[in-house]
Amino acid sequence: MTTEELKALTVNKSVDARGTSCPGPLLAAKKAIGQIEEGQVMEVLSADEGTRRDIPKWCTKKGYEYLGTLEEAGYYKIFLKK
Amino acid sequence: MANKKLTLALFSGSVDKLTAAGVILGGAAAEDMDVEIYVLLQAAFAFKKENAMTNERVAEITDKKDEFLASLRSLGTPHWTEAFRTAKEMTNVKIHICGFAGKVWKGYKLDDFIGLADDICGIGEYMTSAEESDINLFI
Repeated sequence: MTTEELKALTVNKSVDARGTSCPGPLLAAKKAIGQIEEGQVMEVLSADEGTRRDIPKWCTKKGYEYLGTLEEAGYYKIFLKK
Repeated sequence: MANKKLTLALFSGSVDKLTAAGVILGGAAAEDMDVEIYVLLQAAFAFKKENAMTNERVAEITDKKDEFLASLRSLGTPHWTEAFRTAKEMTNVKIHICGFAGKVWKGYKLDDFIGLADDICGIGEYMTSAEESDINLFI
């Protein structure tokens, strides 16, 4: 997805994991994914560089769709669809 | 499809290596892996009730121990027991205390160890688990 498309997404669930280090954001994403329906979109906020790389791979393994990442001031917004 | 399986031979009783084990367990939990942990020798010391929260030994870069522990705290890193507990809540993790290791540290009953431990076992179970696993680690 393009930056504009990511910014325009309707987010059904936002997970703010900026206060944790690896594997905290990944575990927060795993906990939260159970709270959304199939087809819904979740964003994970993380200041952890490793998480930025982990979430797309985790999505592939678990059958979720990784949509893209926006770089904000000091953190990332990582988008995925269940 | 059956879950992938990780077997961890946990020998170390040092918080640096136990913390690393906790991070790996987090990764395994995120992927719904089945995990079998075998607590061997020095790790049994760390799993004893009276030691788990007070033990601050580190195995590596020991001259920087205070800096290391302070950095863990400032990063909000959970204590290794908390990381293990979180993994147990999120995926199938079984923690087995090696009976021999327990005796070395005067731990004869399951109740001598923190509640994370599931049972006391012999090395045969570790061998079987290792044979059946997709990933085997020794820490």
